[in-house]
Amino acid sequence: MGSEFDPQIPSNTVAYFFREAFRRIWISKRTSFVAVAMIAVSMLIVGFFLLLSENLGRAAEQAQGKSRVDIYLSAEATPAQVAAVDRYLAAHRDLARRRFVSSDEALRRFTSYFANLNGIVAQLDANPFPASFECDVAPQLMQSPAFGREMKELRAIGGVDDVQFDWEWVRRLKRVVNVVNIAGIIAGALLALAAAFTIANVIRLTMMLYHEEIEIMRLVGATERIIRGPFLIEGLLQGTFGALLAVALLFGSFVAARRFIAPANSLIWSFLFNGFLPWQKIAALLAGGMIAGFLGSWLSVRESGEESA
Amino acid sequence: MKQHRMIHFYHVTKRFDAYSTALNDVTFHIDKGEFVFLTGPSGAGKSTLLKLILRQIRPTEGQIVVNGRNLNAMKRRHLPYFRREIGMVFQEFKLIERMTIFENLSFILTVIGLTAKEHKKKAYTALRAVGLQHKMNYYPLQLSGGEQQRVAIARALINDPLMLIADEPTGNLDPDLAQEVLEIFNSANLRGSTVLLATHDRDLIERSNRRVIALDHGKIAEEKIAAAGKPAARSESVFVNWS
Repeated sequence: MGSEFDPQIPSNTVAYFFREAFRRIWISKRTSFVAVAMIAVSMLIVGFFLLLSENLGRAAEQAQGKSRVDIYLSAEATPAQVAAVDRYLAAHRDLARRRFVSSDEALRRFTSYFANLNGIVAQLDANPFPASFECDVAPQLMQSPAFGREMKELRAIGGVDDVQFDWEWVRRLKRVVNVVNIAGIIAGALLALAAAFTIANVIRLTMMLYHEEIEIMRLVGATERIIRGPFLIEGLLQGTFGALLAVALLFGSFVAARRFIAPANSLIWSFLFNGFLPWQKIAALLAGGMIAGFLGSWLSVRESGEESA
Repeated sequence: MKQHRMIHFYHVTKRFDAYSTALNDVTFHIDKGEFVFLTGPSGAGKSTLLKLILRQIRPTEGQIVVNGRNLNAMKRRHLPYFRREIGMVFQEFKLIERMTIFENLSFILTVIGLTAKEHKKKAYTALRAVGLQHKMNYYPLQLSGGEQQRVAIARALINDPLMLIADEPTGNLDPDLAQEVLEIFNSANLRGSTVLLATHDRDLIERSNRRVIALDHGKIAEEKIAAAGKPAARSESVFVNWS
């Protein structure tokens, strides 16, 4: 006989939800594909921004980790002047860790980093790259006003043409990373919302298709949780498939771009294709797709309760 | 409220709009374990009355108490558990065409929360009760109308309901099959289920020797014991010559 009100969840309910959800996705393949594609496109765009900001961020970290002061010598600097600069640096507490880069070495580096510009370099009559000293310094030191004053003094030494330190560049790069992150989040959120609405419509269509079954379920005593469960799981699965597809496409594009687009030894490309997303960001992409899918199906099922005339 | 009453309608009126009154001040009761026929011409309000018992719709006025629960006051979240106590046989069967007969029955057990282990035994027992155990792997459209009706009855019986409600269950059947179906309801009644059977089939009612509630234009036109010929203790309203 029927029992008193006892809202227990049976052990096979979750299996039933998944079985039904998979079956409904399979039956409505075309509409499900549209929903999955929408999620995939949204997550792909979010993933692209994440990948870009990840690699720019890594470049900024690397630059920050190896904060450097470059002291460029003028082409006319005499050996005595170069020796005087070297002595000055050796005596300085923060600039003592120095390397001398001859103009030939600078040219070799350039041709290695920008291999595609080798043709132009070959047409030059003389080596345009000056010799320099490279000094590694602590990043926090470069931000102090005293350091700025010292660099001014250094510029005044005979034979020194220019002094550059890259903190400002790192700061700008970090700003770019932040902008890319924010743009990615905004674009991703808007697209994910659009995808959620697509899924909501797909689920609404499925619910119309199963209108009669839903009515029978209600009349025989199915709870709303049992009726809605498969639809919620359907949205969740569509979101998951979409996000998995996005991660796969992103990884495929990344590998292909690294292999076929980025020239070997190019500094800029090596920044952009330094590495793929870390697992935390991949997990965040998957979670984003799942949430968008679940939100879409929830939007549909929440309005589907029984109406009592 | 006395505990032996299964269904109690108390001055129930159901209006769908200002010009359409489906039930008008209907009062009656059905005791636990009773077998009652509900009859009357088309448009008399039979289907509305059954829908009110299942709380598919709410009364405009009056109170309905089923198995001690006032349906007007019942919370929506309690509705599924209430409906599990009722086995409903629909006029149009309401079988799911994409599922086999076994799946149609097993599906009900899933949605009411029984484990897969219990499905096979219960589904087989219910199908055997209607003589269709050998067709459990058929699809509804592979069965005749009478067989589909028996599957619908098996589905209603599968959870041993406290109450069995049927809307024209013999409407599509020849007299022999109708009698068979009636026997199924009789045995469910003997096992303790209260039965309320809405039908046009006067022969079936005459043969049954059961209480009859006749509706006409939304009112109770008559209450009587069929065949025995004498009216049962009636609630209200006008007597008309039903038979």
